[in-house]
Amino acid sequence: MASENTLKVKIEFGGGLELLFDNKRIYDLELPATFEDDQPSNVDFLIRYMRDKLLKERVELFMEKDTIRPGILVLINDTDWELEGEKDYALKDGDEIVFISTLHGG
Amino acid sequence: MSSCGAPAAEGGEALMQKRQKYDKSKNCVRCKDNIGNIVVRHAVYCKNCFSPMIAAKFRRGVEPYVNEAPKGRRRLKASGNILVGLSGGVGSTVILDLVNQSYFAPRTDTPGGKEHPRFNERIWQKGFVCYVDISAVFPNMRDRTNEVRNAAKTYDALEFILVRLENAFDDSWWTSVGGKPSNSELFVDFADQDLLITAISDSNTDPVAALRTFISALPTQTAISQAIPTLVRVLLLYTARHLGVSHVLLGTSLTSLSISLISSISQGGGFTVREESDEQWMAPGSTTPIRIIKPLQDVGMKECSAWAWWHGLPVVQKEKLPGTGQDIAALTKDFIVGLEKDYPSTVSTIAKTCAKLAPKHGSVRRCLLCERPIQEGIDDWLTRTSIRSLSIGNTTPRFSTARLTPSLCYSCHTTLTSKSSRGATKSTSSFVRLPVWLSAGLQSAEYSMFQIPDERDQPAEKTSAKDTEVWQTRKIGQQEMKHAIGDFLIEDSGQ
Ligand SMILES: [Zn+2]
Ligand SMILES: [Zn+2]
Repeated sequence: MASENTLKVKIEFGGGLELLFDNKRIYDLELPATFEDDQPSNVDFLIRYMRDKLLKERVELFMEKDTIRPGILVLINDTDWELEGEKDYALKDGDEIVFISTLHGG
Repeated sequence: MSSCGAPAAEGGEALMQKRQKYDKSKNCVRCKDNIGNIVVRHAVYCKNCFSPMIAAKFRRGVEPYVNEAPKGRRRLKASGNILVGLSGGVGSTVILDLVNQSYFAPRTDTPGGKEHPRFNERIWQKGFVCYVDISAVFPNMRDRTNEVRNAAKTYDALEFILVRLENAFDDSWWTSVGGKPSNSELFVDFADQDLLITAISDSNTDPVAALRTFISALPTQTAISQAIPTLVRVLLLYTARHLGVSHVLLGTSLTSLSISLISSISQGGGFTVREESDEQWMAPGSTTPIRIIKPLQDVGMKECSAWAWWHGLPVVQKEKLPGTGQDIAALTKDFIVGLEKDYPSTVSTIAKTCAKLAPKHGSVRRCLLCERPIQEGIDDWLTRTSIRSLSIGNTTPRFSTARLTPSLCYSCHTTLTSKSSRGATKSTSSFVRLPVWLSAGLQSAEYSMFQIPDERDQPAEKTSAKDTEVWQTRKIGQQEMKHAIGDFLIEDSGQ
């Protein structure tokens, strides 16, 4: 159980994106429940956290202009993040966020 | 979700306001009840409705190309077998799953189950999965054959066939798929604009070495990333012919189709732009064509990835070619993928626009390298070299001074020579072995290298008028596309 000041989220990678993250497909993260001016931690915070703490190489393959790079599908609890407010989605304890690279065609 | 106004604050210079990613409500547009799980070009679908929607699009992409069974029964019966080209990428992995689910796996959801007539009479008698391994092309590439083979194992109704890129230079492979053995190997010098052919008998080149020499003799990175898919495609086609296949299915998605359309046009492939989305290939000496279908050409990479994820499909991933990233195909890909994120409908407009760019006249000849039609009439270089070829001395062996150029389409000729980008440094000639089908085509009686277009051709004066028209049509097409993609076009720098 996460304490009052933290929340636990699970992140998972698909489509080869795990190669940028130490080739590990699943991370269980414990994040602060709020950041900066007491804002609830959101996906924007999560992707910056991932960039700073987890990303092993080539940030340009994960992010572009402070957001997720085009061609990466993000699912929040199995739902397209475009339906959940994208970066503004406020994380809840127990959330599962999946990042899938769609860039490898054919 | 923020409204249209908000992103301007971040984007700053954005001229076109971003639309909200989905229309109206978060409920599924199909069942109206469930909260949606995915946005597909502004339409919201729940997971339950998403899969049948994709499966229906897939079948609509396949079944119009299959004949109805005789005796007026409302059922389809193909004239041959089906072959899925599996690359390990998402699109073809999804296609394989859909082919299996739609046409081979016993269905549990229909009344009658296995007794259902559908399973007593398949549309295609046999199904094949063909993987073309390209790892030999560069020494440091990983061979993913075992992973792909394992991924395909789940579908035991379809037989796994392995082809390797070096088979393109392998006489024993060629004869194993029914090709005529040839008594000499044909070589060409890419450094020579006319592509002079030299026949060497009793040589016995190693296929991998021949492949690597062929690739390393190509003038640009762009040429390499165009030549490899061409070799893969033709290897698949000859494999398909040997297996009695009537339909070849490729996993090209809307996203990857748009990428290949734009990059193909920018590299001189305008005449065969139609073949990028729908193609029939008549094997030499055959009377029934093989249909090459891309049933996901209206389905984006996002939907393909979601399907693979939600169905737990093993996506092996394609091995990346070293050195790619700055060639035309890679830059086009970045452009299209970025466009698709913010303006998802625009990408399908590219494909639809290209579908209208059909050349007015057919072609009487096929290119011996890519096996696609050659545009007649416009080829100034073709005429010139054909005339010059008349002065060839007759004492030499038949092909020793022949030229390959007249047998190639404009696009392939560009791939092999792209003279604009050939540095002055490249003065040493390197003899490169030609793919086995090209040798066979040149040596076959059926194909005459200096063939003059047959009776379908018009009298001389008329021809030139018509040819101008063909040229014009193509030009406008390019202009339209240029206009559509604006400043993104780049010069091939020849890196
Ligand atoms: Zn629904
Ligand atoms: Zn060609």
